[in-house]
Amino acid sequence: MHGYYFKEASRSFKQHRGVAYAAIVVLTAALALTGMFLLLTYNAQEALSMMGDRREMIVYLKDEVDDAARALLTTKLQDLYGSVTYVSKAQAWEEMRQQVGDPSLLDAVQDNPLPASLRIRLKPALLMPDSMDAAAHQVAAFPEVEDVRYGAEWVRRLDQLSAGLRLGTLVIGCIVALAVVFVLHNTIRLTVLARRQQVEVMSRLGATDGFIAWPFVLEAMFEAALSALLALGLVFGLQQALAPHLFGIAFLPPLWAAAFMAAAVALAWFAAWLALSRVLRAIGP
Amino acid sequence: MITFEQASVRYGERLALDSLSWHMNEGECVVFLGPSGAGKTTILRLITHEAQPTSGSVTVGTFVGGRLPRAHRALLRRTLGIVYEDFRLLNDRTIFENVALPVRVAGKFADEDVEPRVMFALDEVGLKDKQNAFPDELSAGERQKAAIARAIVNRPAVVLADEPTGALEKKSAEEVLALLRRIHSEGAALLLVTTRTEVAEALPARVLMLEDGRIVSGEPGMPAPPPGAESAPWTVEALGWSKEDEDTRGAETVPPEPERIVPEPAPVPPAAEPVDHSERKL
Repeated sequence: MHGYYFKEASRSFKQHRGVAYAAIVVLTAALALTGMFLLLTYNAQEALSMMGDRREMIVYLKDEVDDAARALLTTKLQDLYGSVTYVSKAQAWEEMRQQVGDPSLLDAVQDNPLPASLRIRLKPALLMPDSMDAAAHQVAAFPEVEDVRYGAEWVRRLDQLSAGLRLGTLVIGCIVALAVVFVLHNTIRLTVLARRQQVEVMSRLGATDGFIAWPFVLEAMFEAALSALLALGLVFGLQQALAPHLFGIAFLPPLWAAAFMAAAVALAWFAAWLALSRVLRAIGP
Repeated sequence: MITFEQASVRYGERLALDSLSWHMNEGECVVFLGPSGAGKTTILRLITHEAQPTSGSVTVGTFVGGRLPRAHRALLRRTLGIVYEDFRLLNDRTIFENVALPVRVAGKFADEDVEPRVMFALDEVGLKDKQNAFPDELSAGERQKAAIARAIVNRPAVVLADEPTGALEKKSAEEVLALLRRIHSEGAALLLVTTRTEVAEALPARVLMLEDGRIVSGEPGMPAPPPGAESAPWTVEALGWSKEDEDTRGAETVPPEPERIVPEPAPVPPAAEPVDHSERKL
């Protein structure tokens, strides 16, 4: 029986190629737009998460803190906030020399003015701006601590950018989902009306709505799957074109691509049943 | 089997059926004869639930009156075989595919059982060699025979025929009527509506004259036999269709295969006897 449904869907597709192709073109365009936003979001998220991984808190120590006090503080910070690396005054000076590049510029400085520090790579749970803020205040309260720096403004902006991208993709996704439902709803409606005589005859022969509807639903799902595949092809083409200019831009991972196709097919299923539940009642006496 | 009780149908100001009461038993042949607009097609539409009575009730087998849910309506129609004046074959598929449609709609036959069943029905109407033709390639008489094959392929409890010879020339009409007579003689109830007296006379039928939505002559029929009476094989119940089946198994599920009252379609006899169309003439 399933073979019959597929055969009927194929027959319907062939007989109404014009309508089907038009629907596929429109759907491909709409889905490609979503796919491009997904590509942007995915790559931005990857970049942001790489940057986020580098978020660290620098705890400057008072000069008078001895080794024992520093070791005790390190243990406490490790327990509470994440992995801790000690940077001595000498290491800090060496880092600065390397960053400046020209050693003669630092020749005028007689003593090493840089403080020793502890660099904390924060636990994932503390990477949100508010959590980082709270952690910084707590760390600053230790008597051994001179100052705490963690780039609060930068962290905040990074998170805002990430949230904005997610919201943008969600909005575009919803608009495109509505467009997909609208296009498929009308395509299926037109197809069913074009086959009105067949639907009427089948209804009079005792076919249930499900029996009549399944070939049309399969047709819509096929059109959506094909459109999603073409859209992914376009997005892949775009990624390949951008790759030489935008270092590190990657195509959507298989799971994202599969979810994209599954969403398109699910929308088609929904749109087709929505259209059929109305049009069959109008046609089938 | 089919009972109308004070059934009226009104289309706006026009009364298509006026308190019609009649009954038809299993295996019976009834012809409604009357002019155009008398309400003949409305009777068929009430039986198939394409229309609802404005008042009164229509009972078909176990389907009693009222507006049926769509799934039950589909189930009811599967117990009927319908032949239309304009054939209503699907022009984009072959005769085989047209006749196979009710078998697939019934949903109770495996794919490999469809072909022998369809071939048996096509053999019965003498169109076995036209199975791959499209309706447009056949004569009107052949198209009506194909429509009859489609109507009988599932061994329905009753065959409804709406002016089946209306679009046919005399020879084809004779052949179609001979075919319907044979189907009836094999046990199927036959309800035919026509404007032509010669069609009514060509069938071993109880003829009811219809005018302006009322029976003006003929015997409207006896009430249904009392419960427990042995039922004829061509009945809704004998075919295993009932609303309870639909309720308990879901709309897509079909009742068990009924006991057949005609030879099994498979295997198709290698040399089936040709239908004798000369046994009765108009």
